[in-house]
Amino acid sequence: MVAISSDVIRGYNDTMILSILKKEPSYGYSISKQIKTISDGKYAIKETTLYSAFTRMEKNEYIESFVAEQSPDGNGKKRTYYRITDKGLEYYDSKCEEWELTKEVVENFIEYKGEE
Amino acid sequence: METIKNYLESMFASLPNTSEVRKAKAELLQMMEDKYNELIEEGESENAAVGTVISEFGNLEELSDDLGLKEELHETLERQASEDRRHVTLDEVKGFIDSRTKKALFLSLGIFLCIISVAGPIIFGSNGKAALGVGLMFTCITLGVGSIIYSSFAEHDFSFLKHELCMIDMSTASYVKEHRRSFESIRAICMTIGVMLCVACWVPCVFFGSSYGYVGASLLFFFVGFGVFLIVYGNTISKGYDKLLRVNDNNTISGTYSGKTEKEVRYKSKTAETIVQVYWPFVTSIYLIVSFLTFQWGITWIIWPIAGAAHKAVLINCQEDDE
Repeated sequence: MVAISSDVIRGYNDTMILSILKKEPSYGYSISKQIKTISDGKYAIKETTLYSAFTRMEKNEYIESFVAEQSPDGNGKKRTYYRITDKGLEYYDSKCEEWELTKEVVENFIEYKGEE
Repeated sequence: METIKNYLESMFASLPNTSEVRKAKAELLQMMEDKYNELIEEGESENAAVGTVISEFGNLEELSDDLGLKEELHETLERQASEDRRHVTLDEVKGFIDSRTKKALFLSLGIFLCIISVAGPIIFGSNGKAALGVGLMFTCITLGVGSIIYSSFAEHDFSFLKHELCMIDMSTASYVKEHRRSFESIRAICMTIGVMLCVACWVPCVFFGSSYGYVGASLLFFFVGFGVFLIVYGNTISKGYDKLLRVNDNNTISGTYSGKTEKEVRYKSKTAETIVQVYWPFVTSIYLIVSFLTFQWGITWIIWPIAGAAHKAVLINCQEDDE
């Protein structure tokens, strides 16, 4: 079983988070859970990694934070939610293009051994 | 959940106490709590849930880079290395509280004995047994001073708290806070009764009148003595808890363990702090001096309500406003 290398994926944590925030604003744990689900359980982002990404992207104005209650009926706890900004959307698109290119280049050097 | 909290606190303990770091800690705790709750709901055992949450937490170095804390973290680590703070264990803390209680008892007992020592000559002086009275007085003073000296050695084993830089961890700090909270009500009772006894010390004099004046006068010293006993006892123990909670470095997150009580009070200057600290002892001295000089115990109590009102004004002028 091959595990994902955190060095490689580091450059794309932002992309994953932004793709989730593109759909709707969300908060820490919910984002980390969605990353796990979408990646089919193959990648679990660490809490410190996630929070680092939040602070970094907030500083770069890719996302904004706001405090809201978790559930609409108002019985939830207050949580810090994040929403994507226009600048964040642009950044996301450019990261997607970058990934296409990266993938294309790296693919040329990959040989698949055996079946599956 | 308690384990997770303590884990997070210990990770953050050496980081600088800034709003950014406090926010990061709160956010991370929230994420860990969410994850923990969900794992429990899925039927995981508590231990397994704690294990998973902690193993998936990550590391703080990564975080400190992005929080722009690299330098601070480095600085804190360096300072820690050079300071070499002594880690005070929970057992040591328990031992310190025990010996602080002993110290408080002997210190206040000593002061009590010194104050009531004058009762000897008062009682026996009027019966013509002056020598017995004086003898009793010196016995009381000797015992009292002995008791005070003994009390100053009670904490000898814990002198490192004074001479060395120390630190306590989060769970120890919670233990101390828990005890301080439960002692707070005892202290309040001690203070109330103590002050009431001091204020009401003239009552026996009035009650016994001039025919049994010596009984009234000696009871007056018993009242004051016992009142001071209670005040000193309560304060000494309470200060012990504060001392424990203040050992951590105030510039780091661990400095916040003591809770908000100390942080709220900031004085405008060193002089202001001294004024507030000596205020009540000063008022007490004034009260006793004026009362003894004039012997108008029936009226001098008026000093207390005036002092109480003035205290508020003094505090307003000496303390910084809250943010």
